Amino acid sequence: MRLKIDPLKCVRCGLCEVACSLNRDSVLTPMTSSIMLHVDGKANYFGLVLKTGGSCLVLARPEGSSTGQQATGSGGPGAKPILLREVCDLCEGSPRCAQICPTLCITVVD
Amino acid sequence: MYLRSGKIGIFDLSSKELVEEDFVEEETWDKMSSLSIADRLASVHGEDSLVLGTGVLTGSFVPASCAGILRARADGDSISRSMPIMGFAGFELKLSGFDFIVIKGVAEKPSYLWIRDGMIDIVTAEEMRPRDSWARTDKILADQGDSKIQVVAGGPWCDSGHPRSQTVVDYWGGDDKMGVGAELGKKNLVAIAFRGMGELELAEPEGHFEDAILLMREHVLALGQNHGLASYSDVADRSDFKGLLHRNVGCYGCPFPCRSYLKVAEDPGELRLVAKEPGYLHYDIPALQKAFEVGLDAKDSTLAFMECAKEGAEAFSVLQMSSENSKKVTLETIHEVLKNPADPKHTKMERPPGNFESSFADSNTYRTCLGFGLCPRYWAKAGFDMPRIASFAEDLLGRKIPSDDS
Repeated sequence: MRLKIDPLKCVRCGLCEVACSLNRDSVLTPMTSSIMLHVDGKANYFGLVLKTGGSCLVLARPEGSSTGQQATGSGGPGAKPILLREVCDLCEGSPRCAQICPTLCITVVD
Repeated sequence: MYLRSGKIGIFDLSSKELVEEDFVEEETWDKMSSLSIADRLASVHGEDSLVLGTGVLTGSFVPASCAGILRARADGDSISRSMPIMGFAGFELKLSGFDFIVIKGVAEKPSYLWIRDGMIDIVTAEEMRPRDSWARTDKILADQGDSKIQVVAGGPWCDSGHPRSQTVVDYWGGDDKMGVGAELGKKNLVAIAFRGMGELELAEPEGHFEDAILLMREHVLALGQNHGLASYSDVADRSDFKGLLHRNVGCYGCPFPCRSYLKVAEDPGELRLVAKEPGYLHYDIPALQKAFEVGLDAKDSTLAFMECAKEGAEAFSVLQMSSENSKKVTLETIHEVLKNPADPKHTKMERPPGNFESSFADSNTYRTCLGFGLCPRYWAKAGFDMPRIASFAEDLLGRKIPSDDS
């Protein structure tokens, strides 16, 4: 089982970040999530970054998804960078980000 | 305390001192409204204060729980009003370490406030004074090194105290229809910046998550396919607007966005980040209606709104001034107004209609919805259901809340 991200379906609502942190710490915050909104260039360029096993990152950019280890994801100096965050554990079989994503940008595939 | 940081920050720009007070949650729905709390804080700290705050549900999983507020003396008159702050601004403000922030006094030099982690700093920014709101926002993001910082910025019109100025929120215009920008200018503030890196506890995290998903799925099913701003207003349902559409963009927690990003400087289908300023995020329905009414097309409306946002000028008013000055409104006549604004007292100018206020037929429902921290535009579309919203809030707070008349 893995997460599939279709970045063009993303509307930048941010619910996936907060749902991920809720599963981890039972609080509302985007700061400890394994998935992050990447925002650049005002409103028009945004996508998602997901930390998966082996410190690998899924970079779901508008122009297409790829995997790699490039440190990305806007967080700022006070925010925890994605590479220092926990690896996505798929919420023990029921990923919260996919459950709450309103546009089916994030789905679960086998 | 659930859903709150438990702290009010009172910052005096004149003395540069921050005083903190405990935030005590009120006991009834009406008094818990962010609008009511802001009114009370202003009555204590002065009607010329700016009050930033969020609703009890802001930042939760309740759909479109994105709204914060900024209360100020409006339009240069004696009436104070609260403008909504949308996008991610309400969400980030909620996690900044303060439930409400009161800004008093006048800064000695042009400055911006930098709010995060329960701290408020005043940063002298004389060099920003002649710059436009986008340049101010860019500089703050670059200086603080974080692209997710939310900036409520003024522009040259705000600095001059023009009653038809507007603050821009995260680059875009449409939230401020009451001249809050002028109040920023009077306080010698070029911007207010905040970042939310805190966390909020909930009484019932699991139950809230499950209930919110059910509610959201109900809404998504009922609302059908989203077309951005065109889903909310016929004004965006025209071919020239749709021909420039790049993407629709949500505010925090919104499953049915009303924000449509139009590209005018490059192919709307270009997905990569190429041009520096490719376009504009439209959600200002009254201004767009006005733009089409005076004869602009979608492209020129987009270019005009960009210029208005940069100058910190309210777009509806600028279009109105331009149409009074000229037989035909063009980008040139708009540019002329932006550089030489008329005093609205000497024109026939009406007050700009509210962008979100008109979502509901009655102002009480609008205030209730916004006071909870919910987007009035979304909830008017989805169907505002006070008992259900109250039930969500009670579950999150872990207690029953009476209404004022019970």
